[in-house]
Amino acid sequence: MLRDEPTLTPLAGCTDLYVALNFGTLKDTRFLDLWRLDRLRKIELRGGALSIGALATFTDLIRSTLVRKRLPMLAAAARDVGGVQIQNRGTIGGNVANASPAGDTLPVLAAADAVVVLQQAGGIRRVPFDGFYTGYRQTVRRPGELIVGIEIPPVRGRQFFRKVGTRAAQAISKIVMAGILGPATGSGRTARIALGSVAPTVVRVPRTEAALASGASIEAVQRTLMEEIAPIDDLRSTAEYRRRVAANLLARFVCGASRG
Amino acid sequence: MAEKAPGVLAVIHHGNAPTLYRPDNDFMSASKPGEARVVFEDDRVHYSGQYVAIIVAETLEQARYAAELVQVSYAVEDPTIETDAALDSAYLPDEFFGEKLTTTRGDPDVALSRAAVTHAATYTTPIEHHNPIEPSASVAVWNGDELTLYETTQWVAGARKTVAQTLGMPEEKIHIVSPFIGGGFGCKGFVWPHSILSAVAAKRVNRPVKLNLTRKHMFSACGHRSETKQYVQLGAERNGRLVAIDHDTVVQTSMVDEFVEACGNTSRFLYSCPNVRVRHRAVRVNVATPTPMRAPGENPGLFALESALDELAYLLNMDPVELRIVNHADVNEQARRPWSSKYLKECYRMGAERFGWAKRAPQPGSMRDGNVLVGWGMATATYPGIRSPGAAKVRLLQDGHVDVVSATQDMGGGTYTTMAQIAADVMGIAIERIRTVLGDSLLPPAPVSGGSMTTASILPATRKAAQDALSKLRHLAATMPASPFTNRRPDDIVAEGGRVFPKGAHPSSGLPYEDVLKRTNQTEIEGEGYTEPGPERDKYAFQSFGAQFVEVRVDPEIAKVQISRVVSAFDVGKIVNAKTARSQGYSGVVMGVGVALMEHTVYDSRDGSIITSNLADYAIPVNADTRSIDILFVDKPDPFIDSDGLGARGLGEITVTGVAPAVANAVYHATGRRIRDLPITPDKLL
Repeated sequence: MLRDEPTLTPLAGCTDLYVALNFGTLKDTRFLDLWRLDRLRKIELRGGALSIGALATFTDLIRSTLVRKRLPMLAAAARDVGGVQIQNRGTIGGNVANASPAGDTLPVLAAADAVVVLQQAGGIRRVPFDGFYTGYRQTVRRPGELIVGIEIPPVRGRQFFRKVGTRAAQAISKIVMAGILGPATGSGRTARIALGSVAPTVVRVPRTEAALASGASIEAVQRTLMEEIAPIDDLRSTAEYRRRVAANLLARFVCGASRG
Repeated sequence: MAEKAPGVLAVIHHGNAPTLYRPDNDFMSASKPGEARVVFEDDRVHYSGQYVAIIVAETLEQARYAAELVQVSYAVEDPTIETDAALDSAYLPDEFFGEKLTTTRGDPDVALSRAAVTHAATYTTPIEHHNPIEPSASVAVWNGDELTLYETTQWVAGARKTVAQTLGMPEEKIHIVSPFIGGGFGCKGFVWPHSILSAVAAKRVNRPVKLNLTRKHMFSACGHRSETKQYVQLGAERNGRLVAIDHDTVVQTSMVDEFVEACGNTSRFLYSCPNVRVRHRAVRVNVATPTPMRAPGENPGLFALESALDELAYLLNMDPVELRIVNHADVNEQARRPWSSKYLKECYRMGAERFGWAKRAPQPGSMRDGNVLVGWGMATATYPGIRSPGAAKVRLLQDGHVDVVSATQDMGGGTYTTMAQIAADVMGIAIERIRTVLGDSLLPPAPVSGGSMTTASILPATRKAAQDALSKLRHLAATMPASPFTNRRPDDIVAEGGRVFPKGAHPSSGLPYEDVLKRTNQTEIEGEGYTEPGPERDKYAFQSFGAQFVEVRVDPEIAKVQISRVVSAFDVGKIVNAKTARSQGYSGVVMGVGVALMEHTVYDSRDGSIITSNLADYAIPVNADTRSIDILFVDKPDPFIDSDGLGARGLGEITVTGVAPAVANAVYHATGRRIRDLPITPDKLL
């Protein structure tokens, strides 16, 4: 169907779509309902990678022993999404497709070097998560393509996830951070850090990661991070708050991890 | 174009609306629109969200589609949105619901200049919206020249009169029905344009019309709490005795009506002080008309006064509770009357004891739990003990059921329950046999469910009606031939505990209530009760009091405040129902936490549109935002509030007052940061 009508908007849990519909901002008028494609709901190990079907709901992620064992920060992120009803309906594929800079699971996938699996009638292609977003709510997904799954290679090191919202639950994030801190190698430590709500898309911070790897002091690494991100003032917070809290969360992550 | 869209039955706007009339707009006579300007009255747009047309269609989807086709052309003008931009044209409104808005006692200027210790600061609170989970709605049904409106209203009597005047109809032709309300908090108190629109539309298309507001409409179409800017000056002696209070407030009102958030009026009498000045100024902005929102005046007013008192306590190096006790007002010094009853010191004592206040280390930042900063703060709560005339009927039926009826309303606070409970108590029967019917303008008249007045107004009337029903039952029994009551006068007959029996005899010798009806062929007995405030109102000052104690935990890395513990103690007279009363306490505290930490409506100052008109961007607390809440009551009857010995004042609104300043004071205690601008969001604390 997508091949014949590539502009159809795929829908699954509708937790973002209905909001847009209600706000009157939904432009699309024709949709393709994916909800009953149970094959896309699987969470399994495939060739060493954790393979998560696009229709896996946040509840599926929270309940999956595989996810909890291999990528506990993804289960933590899923727990912070909306309320239980939203967790039951919302899917990881939808979270990726919606492309909100505030998407709760996106920093986790960015930090974990996930791969987005896209399929169309002609075949499958795999896009590294870091290259999936091209701008605010823009992705490389082509018309006619469907996000069918996410693949996450094995992760070594300590994982960290923290969301700061407008309230204790059911909140849109002011800032969200995920990270993986590898074992100490020589002077520094390998680290992969990603943040949401600090830029038009979810972002990795390679200069901060390099500073950590080089063994710079935590204060120096924090300074690098504050320079590297470009948050804005909006309804939910201020740029200054996001910059400083990002630095504080990073320190907690790194110092906490080295204690453990 | 909209008129020709599929399914469209009518498009009504300024150009083709029927003639509508401005109602009296007088609260005391039950004529109260949300704003004086009648919908479609002129072709000017005064604020973003103002209705310009209504579309009636066969289906909601068709109506929404047609609405998108409506083209409105405007001559654009620059709006005034911010208070500061309008300060030059601030004016002094005269009265608010009969209360003077500018008063002076003694000479505050001289007292301030001579005071040993002074404190002065500006406190600001933002625009807040009520946001009951049930949005407002109206269904209009015409039957000839008679109109029935199914409403979400806190005041069926007010709705009937106001709608009648607006439509130019006799009141008797209008029937308002509102049996259940999913929360109101003030935004369903007065008549807003949607109720007029549904009636007008139903008339135009000659069939019933349903008009539901969306969540977005709830931010522009049924009122809000004004932004406030309050400059508070306090002067005190070294021992803490207040010598001067100056409370100077600027609020917003709309271009089309006047509503004043009377922040300073409580400052006239909450503490003993010889020199007090209170002033309110208003500025007109291009925003919809403000309206009462749970504890109008007291809620933002106490944020300023009680924050200022906490600051004074630090200047004096004095415990905040002690400072308040030193300044306890033994009488109402503004009204120069004794209190009807007052147990505020008891509230401080009960609350402090349960909270463990004695263990508080006063130094800010001195109480920590690992990395987390812990803060303890408190504030006084208060709200007037209002009472209005009210009526109820109690009907005893042949099948043994009892109907208790009144044109009052239940917003969720428990009026159904407490009315049934009072009737069951008086009649001595199981509450399961009682049916409460309310929310209908055909029933005996009752006041607005607002101003915390329902309990004190309606329950005495209910009690009287139940007593009247029993009295009529005794009279009826006395007429029964060949019965245990033969030759007995009504006074020699007892009706209690569900049975009628001769005085002095065992209840088992008599008959159940319903048997008296059956054997006299009466279908029912109707007791009537009407009560109203009397001369006691001129002798005493009626006021409820309380104390709020709050513990916050602040994570310094993200500067986020978590409310970990709240203890509230209230003196609201006699507690009629411990469960519904405690629930009012919980809800007031939770709402207060929203006021303190989250709630804030953001407008775009370029065009006055509302940016946060949904429940994702306008945050209210969820369960996880409050942890332990302890609600305590002094539970001592007010001997003068009613002449029927009930002694209960209402408690819907006092529970929210004092929460925001107690949180702000706790935040200062935790962090050393004094936030005088609500809400206390993390960016202000970092």
